[in-house]
Amino acid sequence: MDIGFTVWLFAISIGASALGGMLGMASGIFIVPILTVFGHVNIHVAIGASIVSVIACSCGGAAPFLRARLTNIRLAVVLETATTLGALCGVLLAGIIPVSALFLLFAAILLLSARQMLARRSDPIDASAPVRTGSWAEKLNLDSSYPDRALGRDVAYRVQRVPMGMALMYGAGLVSALLGIGSGVLKIPAMDTALRLPIKVSSATSNFMIGVTAAASAGAYFVRGDIVSTIAGPVALGSVVGAVLGARILMRVSNEKLRVLFVAILVVLAVQMLLQAFGINPFGGSA
Amino acid sequence: MNRGISTLAPLERLLAGLLHYGTWVASCVIAVGFVLTLIHSNSGVSHPEMIVGMRIVTTGIVLFILLPVLRLVLMLGVFLRERDYRFSAIAALVLLIVAAGCVTGAYLAPPMAG
Repeated sequence: MDIGFTVWLFAISIGASALGGMLGMASGIFIVPILTVFGHVNIHVAIGASIVSVIACSCGGAAPFLRARLTNIRLAVVLETATTLGALCGVLLAGIIPVSALFLLFAAILLLSARQMLARRSDPIDASAPVRTGSWAEKLNLDSSYPDRALGRDVAYRVQRVPMGMALMYGAGLVSALLGIGSGVLKIPAMDTALRLPIKVSSATSNFMIGVTAAASAGAYFVRGDIVSTIAGPVALGSVVGAVLGARILMRVSNEKLRVLFVAILVVLAVQMLLQAFGINPFGGSA
Repeated sequence: MNRGISTLAPLERLLAGLLHYGTWVASCVIAVGFVLTLIHSNSGVSHPEMIVGMRIVTTGIVLFILLPVLRLVLMLGVFLRERDYRFSAIAALVLLIVAAGCVTGAYLAPPMAG
């Protein structure tokens, strides 16, 4: 084991996780590009390390959301049937898909994240929506309410278009397993456009689901030997530390500056991953 | 209805506790494993203690992977106690899919990493 490399892994994981945590993103989206481009780690090993850190961040961040009653547990477990099934298919595909295609897909997801970061999310809450009798949300009793501190009262919300949400969640689970990311970038459209959840509920529920989704593929990658302890260990530990730091810094930095910095980093990493897809690494070594 | 903690449903409190303490335990296990490995890595040769250290790190990683699974088992238990059989079945289905993932990893997918 190379101590210098271990310390480097630990440090970059703290940085990636703190940066991600400041804008409510999982660190996985940074970990895989950094490990493959700068650390010359095999992409499958990088994905294995990243998926463990995704679980760590999800579990570590879940408690405050649960205590604040923002997580919709019933909705989460229903949607998890779709995300884990997607993850299962992702595990099957991961063995077949060529490495260059993985890099291409990763570049596409990074650019999509950059675009999403620039666009503003509006709260789609609509409690006045008519109750459609016979809908999934009604049958499964998914509608709920959450305490809003600013308003000082509970805000009721309805869950809409569950089948469409499940279809999008399946895709999010698939990409999560393939690339070792939390795939919040694909969950947000599902939560906002299909299910129409309030943003706070959507963030909390999405974070809660990511752990189980990632566990479905992490179990498979562990059994297959893709999760290398010397790499996954420092990355997981660094991510937990970084997430704690990120939440502290969040209050002090201007959101607008952070947003621009974030978009710039995402675009730079996307270009690196694109080059990598065609076998070019400006930082030397082979992928 | 605003009575603070006491209005919190027991399921939420149980899950928050499990995930919070589970993260701490798994993180500490990984940290202990690394400290053990680093202490013995100065000499340059591979010590048996280094191998033990890395085994402890691996245990921590397995704990992290098991944490969401435990969370599902806990939810299944609470749903069963509440006689909510529809949601018990849904939670059991998710557990089954996660288990299928592990089996898939072992038998179907070709080994990729060296």
